[in-house]
Amino acid sequence: MALLEGVNISKRFGGIVALDDVSVIIEHGEAVGLVGPNGAGKTTLFDCLNGVRRFDSGEVRLEGRRIDNLAVYERARLGIGRTFQRLELFSAMSPREHLMVAERVHRGDGRLWKDLIGRGRARLRVARVEELLCELGLETVADDPIESLSQGHGRLVELGRALVQDPLLLLLDEPSSGLDTRETSDFASVLLAVRARRHTAMLLVEHDLHFVRRVVERTYVLDFGKLIASGHLDEVLADPVVREAYLGEVP
Amino acid sequence: MTQFLSYAIPGLPYGCVFALMAVGLVLTYQTSGVFNLAYGAQAYASALIFYVCVNARWPSWAAFLAAVVVAAPLLGLAMDRLLYRFIRSAPVLVKLVSALGMLIAIPSVLQLIFGGQQRLAPPSLWLAPSSVYFHVAGDAINGTELSTVIVTLAVVLLASLMSHFTQIGLRMRAMAESPRMVELAGINSEMVGVGIWVLSSFLAGLAGVLLAPLFAELQALSFTDLLVAAIAAAALGSLTSLPLAFWGGIGLGVVQELLGGYLPSGSVLSSGLRPALPFAVLIVLLLALPGLRERWFHDDPLAGCDPPPPPMATTIGGHGLEGVLRGGGWVLIAAFFVSCLTWVPGNWTFTLTQGIAYSIVFLSIVLLSGMSGQISLCQASFAGIGAFTCAQLAGHFGVSVLVGILAGGAVAAVVGVVVALPALRLGGLALALATLAFGLLADNVGFQFSWSGNGDSGVNIPRPQLGSLNFTSGKAFFVLAFVVLGICTAVVLAIRQGTTGRELAAMRGSELAASSIGTNLAKLKITVFAVASCLAGVGGALYGSLQGTVSPNDFNSLLSLVFMVVVVTTGVYTVQGAIQAGMAYVILYQVLDYLPSEWRNLFPILFGLGAVTYALHPEGVVEWQKRRVVEIVVSWRTRAEASG
Repeated sequence: MALLEGVNISKRFGGIVALDDVSVIIEHGEAVGLVGPNGAGKTTLFDCLNGVRRFDSGEVRLEGRRIDNLAVYERARLGIGRTFQRLELFSAMSPREHLMVAERVHRGDGRLWKDLIGRGRARLRVARVEELLCELGLETVADDPIESLSQGHGRLVELGRALVQDPLLLLLDEPSSGLDTRETSDFASVLLAVRARRHTAMLLVEHDLHFVRRVVERTYVLDFGKLIASGHLDEVLADPVVREAYLGEVP
Repeated sequence: MTQFLSYAIPGLPYGCVFALMAVGLVLTYQTSGVFNLAYGAQAYASALIFYVCVNARWPSWAAFLAAVVVAAPLLGLAMDRLLYRFIRSAPVLVKLVSALGMLIAIPSVLQLIFGGQQRLAPPSLWLAPSSVYFHVAGDAINGTELSTVIVTLAVVLLASLMSHFTQIGLRMRAMAESPRMVELAGINSEMVGVGIWVLSSFLAGLAGVLLAPLFAELQALSFTDLLVAAIAAAALGSLTSLPLAFWGGIGLGVVQELLGGYLPSGSVLSSGLRPALPFAVLIVLLLALPGLRERWFHDDPLAGCDPPPPPMATTIGGHGLEGVLRGGGWVLIAAFFVSCLTWVPGNWTFTLTQGIAYSIVFLSIVLLSGMSGQISLCQASFAGIGAFTCAQLAGHFGVSVLVGILAGGAVAAVVGVVVALPALRLGGLALALATLAFGLLADNVGFQFSWSGNGDSGVNIPRPQLGSLNFTSGKAFFVLAFVVLGICTAVVLAIRQGTTGRELAAMRGSELAASSIGTNLAKLKITVFAVASCLAGVGGALYGSLQGTVSPNDFNSLLSLVFMVVVVTTGVYTVQGAIQAGMAYVILYQVLDYLPSEWRNLFPILFGLGAVTYALHPEGVVEWQKRRVVEIVVSWRTRAEASG
């Protein structure tokens, strides 16, 4: 059974058709790319998959179970992790605290009464969190205020915050935006290492095709809300329809 | 029909004043992004100056020139140039608190200058108030009403002619559309902005002078109500449309008078609901108009995101210094406790016990605003709910006062949940305005019944007794309050250090990211509102029991604003901040009591101006100064180490 299925998803904003009958499938442990020009509906599709937006028609299934009536937090608890195109970090918290809070929420440690009798006051160091900080190369900045980190470190913190919850599927929204070439390449290496170790499935929205080529196994191409191609990245890019839409080439 | 007209027509003058204010509010909000809550204070300023000038036997045209044409724009311009200009892109809480500070400080500055005596029968701008000019549908139209309507129509006509047929008017309209595009078109938008600010302040001044004679006495409080009415009217125009805001204002004034006419006279409903109508309208609009909500939510990308507080003073000095500071804190608390039981005179023990009760209420503000990033402007109302619940239970059902205090907290928590339900969908400015409106509703209607706050006569709460333990004496009650504060502090600290506290901090940082890691925001917000309201309720009940008699006036909506400003000034991010705020609040008040009565105005001025420092030092004055001291100590130490 497929891990995540988006079936015939359509979404309009007034007169604009952001998604037109889009279907995607992601298998367990598979890394899939999602490319397309700006405004093609990539982030909207992400928002529909993880519940930030409701869509007009269609279905989303996680391991066969319909989840499109669930809220963002419920889908997160079922195993859909996400990073954001514009960094969404918790101000005034250190990278370690970012991972700690995600870990505690994941463990279901959020009851008020537990806090009141002092049981929520978990140990300051949690092995999983420390391990992950090392794995991502964040151990040197683990206690710095989040505002002082570089964009590259910020992306890694977002990734770590999602990974600490052991997601079945990671939605990565343009992780290379705002990063320089070096940081982008480092981030790709980290992603590959994460995949080698955990076999987490990923859906990756990205403009940097080198990045996409390194990480994913196959790719969807979205244009004006329509899925226009899917398959191996190089095959897809050879498709004249894709070349016209994405690269502006007239066949 | 005649009856309908006879009720509706007296509403027109009110409607005109609302409309003027609403138009001015929309103008500045559209162009500068600052929701100018100090607008009510600007109106009051002009009304007061006009009153003083007329009493000094100036002719009314000269008084009008001084108050509305000169003073009002100057005041508005000063606020824009010295304050608002710098905080345009600041987070909502900063803008809101700065404006609140001005709203609270300005009337007191004026009273310090012109004296705080009672000012009866404010003069009419133009036509004599006592003479009746003609009758419409059986209504005698007096000079005040007639001149209000005529002046408003004239000004609006002039303004719309100007905006359509002059260069500056065109630019202003363009500016209200998009300041950035105006800039790109090669126009100095700062200059146009100044023009708009002058116009809007002039409208506030005019509205103030026109409104004053409609009341028997000139009071700052009537202008806060006027402000909320104007906000409601502006909300009718989704805060963007000037014509809709104008007609919204007129409509609100008329409907208000209609209600007064048709509701049974003499009941709490007619005396309370009439003035409360704008607040009710505002709440309904906030909840019902999705466009309005989204606009406030998305307008400002930084909305709801507080500036990160700098590191705590205790953490920058290394472990040795941290120990000294912590130890010093405990010694201070012990010394305070022992002193109050031994040598401190009785009236000061009473004052400090009041401070403890306030500290508990202020803890709720720390929990809501400091820890969770939610802005509530009705915490005094929750304190009132706690006090009145306790009083009614003790008075009518013979419930023990201690149980009553707890029950007060519980009832406040339930009401808090009800208030939180809309808060789930609102955020930032919209939530602040909705809670402000709720506070005013509680003030004008909720607390006026004999089964709640019993209006001006108030209710009695005896001091508690527990078996042989008797808390009637000042010292015994102090110990009780001290213990209750200790428990409440422990609760807030436990929440802060636990998972809930981390989730709250995450929610403050980014609601989107918090939900993407599995945080149930709705549940979290309801929880934090419930706990905060409960704290406020317990604090209020304790305060009531200390005082013996409390009335709705002890928990009025203006006080909620003062509370917010006081806590934010001393420190909204820490639990200590709440306690320091509670103590500073009562001690300052008591000290000013020894001084001549005019000096009492210093109190709101100090805290009002203190709120403005929030933009620079969000951690609060106490923490800021403490950090400075620690930094000096650290630099001494490094120098000593370097030379030795």
